[in-house]
Amino acid sequence: MAVDRGGTRPTADRPGWSACVIAVAGFALCLFAGGAGFSLPWAPSLDLRLAFALDGLAVLYGLLATGVGALVFAYGTRYLTLHLEHQRRPAVERWRFWPWMTLFAVSMVGLATAQDLVLVFVFFDLTAVCSYFLIGFDRAEREARRSALMALLVTVVAAVAMLVAAVLLHAEHGTFAIPELLDRAEPSTTTTLAAALLAVAALAKSAQVPLHFWLPKAMAAPTPVSAYLHSAAMVAAGVLVLGRVHPLLARSEAVLTGLVVVGAASVVVGGVLALRRDVLKQVLAYSTISQYGYMVMLYGIGGAAANGAAAFYVLAHGIAKSALFMTAGAVTMATGEDRLSRLGGLGRRVPVLAVAAGAASATLAALPLTVGFFKDELLFAAAVERGPVTVVLAVVAATLTFAYIGRFWIGLFLGPARGSVGAASTLLVAPVVVLAAVAVLGGVVVEPFARLAEDAATVSAGEPVTMSPGYHLDARPENLMAVAAWALGGLLLVLPRLTDGLSRAFAAAGERFGPRRAYDGTLRALDRVSAAVHDREVRDLRGSIAAVLVPAGLLIGVAFVATPTAGAYMVGIVEGADWVILPLLALVVVATVVTARARVRLVVALALAVVGFALAALYALVGAPDVALVAVVVETMLTLVFVAALSRLPREDPDRFVPGDPVRRRRDVFAALLAGLAAFVALWGFLSQPAADSVSDEHLRLTPSAHGGDVVTVIVADFRGLDTLVEITVLLVAVVGVATLVRRGRLW
Amino acid sequence: MILAFAVAAAVLFGSGAYLLLKQDLIRMVAGIILISQSGVVTIIAASLSRGRAAIDVAPGERVSDPLPQALALTALVIGLATVALLLALVHRAIVVFRTAEQDELAATEAEHEAGLERRRQADREEIESDPDGERAP
Repeated sequence: MAVDRGGTRPTADRPGWSACVIAVAGFALCLFAGGAGFSLPWAPSLDLRLAFALDGLAVLYGLLATGVGALVFAYGTRYLTLHLEHQRRPAVERWRFWPWMTLFAVSMVGLATAQDLVLVFVFFDLTAVCSYFLIGFDRAEREARRSALMALLVTVVAAVAMLVAAVLLHAEHGTFAIPELLDRAEPSTTTTLAAALLAVAALAKSAQVPLHFWLPKAMAAPTPVSAYLHSAAMVAAGVLVLGRVHPLLARSEAVLTGLVVVGAASVVVGGVLALRRDVLKQVLAYSTISQYGYMVMLYGIGGAAANGAAAFYVLAHGIAKSALFMTAGAVTMATGEDRLSRLGGLGRRVPVLAVAAGAASATLAALPLTVGFFKDELLFAAAVERGPVTVVLAVVAATLTFAYIGRFWIGLFLGPARGSVGAASTLLVAPVVVLAAVAVLGGVVVEPFARLAEDAATVSAGEPVTMSPGYHLDARPENLMAVAAWALGGLLLVLPRLTDGLSRAFAAAGERFGPRRAYDGTLRALDRVSAAVHDREVRDLRGSIAAVLVPAGLLIGVAFVATPTAGAYMVGIVEGADWVILPLLALVVVATVVTARARVRLVVALALAVVGFALAALYALVGAPDVALVAVVVETMLTLVFVAALSRLPREDPDRFVPGDPVRRRRDVFAALLAGLAAFVALWGFLSQPAADSVSDEHLRLTPSAHGGDVVTVIVADFRGLDTLVEITVLLVAVVGVATLVRRGRLW
Repeated sequence: MILAFAVAAAVLFGSGAYLLLKQDLIRMVAGIILISQSGVVTIIAASLSRGRAAIDVAPGERVSDPLPQALALTALVIGLATVALLLALVHRAIVVFRTAEQDELAATEAEHEAGLERRRQADREEIESDPDGERAP
């Protein structure tokens, strides 16, 4: 076997721990700097500001992103090392992982704190770019690459809707600042349209039906990425945006109803599909779709109670889901298996992990003594307030959650022992334990969590929100709904056949008619179009040149027909040196025609030289000695190079000259005539209408202070010195290119 | 004079376009040279004033507009660089493919692409016949 490149012991994951430290620092900042903010001008002419504020909503998501982030990163230092070892990849590949992970966390905090709609858009897309590189981290695998592209395309294309909404709102209200927009927006068609567009972008990001298909695919990412992406970043970003602009969404009843519908559909589709998945991370991925469906539904219900419930839900779900993902990763690392059917009875062998994962599962299933209980209590309360339909939906949602997460935990940790267990690393279990402890702590002392959610909901509801979650031992509707959900969920757990058929039918229908097919079809069609265009472009250079010349000529023609041109053209006067210039121009024209019609290449080269030198003489006559000198030098060089190139080519056989296809020839002449004619009308018009005044006067005035006599030289070397520098660079690049080509690919 | 300059520049441009459409790569290079000459002539013709060269100018003296001249200088030099690079490329192409005809070059390229596509297809079939190799985590 090859020598281990990392030495006998893998070196410490320094970039990973640095990312972890950054996340901890961010956590402290979000914890203690609440209420801080700043606003700097960014592009004043476009009304853009770098406006950030750490308000309630920002604190909630910031704490989630950095807190969960710190734990996931710590977990990742160990996980990534093992992952790279398994894949026999060098340890330096960490550097392709951690910078993106850190940027992911930073952009999430940026998104949470941004108070400018365009800034929100920028961070929104930044998270998508990070997720692209992280999902595609195992770049040798085709599936990973495809999944990364899918996640990027679905979320980024949908995000364009957000930009459109921002522009719409700016046109209406003259600002991109979110607080002012929320103030100024009145119920109107524009508001509704903008709100709907914002919702589309957010829903695609939160993997809601029908744009949910990218999320299960994103499981191709290493586990720390999944854990982070599902709980605190990327998917959470969508819901965060919904919360940020919620007062705007609430201006339109239609948009709110749409949110309820989409959320409910996602709850059911995600929940039912999660019931029968075999791959661990797939169960959790479909669960995420379903869970974010809850939050979208809550935002759709609207009002103080629902906003509070949504904020609380984000928090509880983030804690539970990241713990569950890390559990799945730890199990797979210890056993080498990633399917429920090949695992079981791990409870006795990894008891600590089993207990911690149990607490996390209980949080998701909303059992008492976990923070999750309150998330469902608040959900039920909001549902009762809205009406019977949402009550049923909420109970169905909670039932499904109880069933699939119960199946997940029982399948992993109970039952007959299956799969061989290696050593589970402490660092892979500790973060799960910490999160589970937080979840249980929240189940006992819910106050701090409720305060966070209250502050966040105050921002998204646009009014003060107070919540008082707690345990009540009475027959209030929330408790009855919770009991009903547990009972039904338990029933599904005991009798899995009840839902087997349904889940399978859902999966089959999804494969058959699902939006993923539309995505694949669109991508394939675009690919074909691109290939066809590319084919035409490269196969026939003449065709592509004519395709530029002819439409350009026609367009110029149309422009001239549409523009009044009477009296716009001037013939000009002929005086003094012009009598010498005119014959020179005639010589240029003759030599040009000779160039075009020459049969022998050498004649082409010589005729070109005649054109060039005649023009050089012309420049001398119009009072441009610098240009004339340079033109002489350039022409001399060019003629020499041209003749040299000709002499090094295989000899041209004059008898081989064939006039070619006459139709083609006529077409060429037509295209050229059209191009020449268009150039003529355009240039004549341009020269007939000189500008009113020139900056040249300024140049003439300033030349003595630049310590020069020749104004042209001073312009080139001083006033436009940077241009000249770039020009020299171009020359240098060209020289390197020529040298390399002449020496057949070797520069030295 | 305006008309005369416009005619000359247009003839340069039209002839350049005609040469660009030719089969022969060398003539395409000639076409590019003519088109850039057309550009330089236009820039010079767009001078707002004509007179003596703008060197050691006394106040109030009538001189040639220096700004278009500076632009023309840039255009000339950049033109030289690109044409030299283009010529080197064309030279290399002709030596390697033993032809300066675009049709023949395109045919060679198409053949090469087809060969690549065949190999890609073979790769794909190999992967697909081994699904375990692809789906393994």
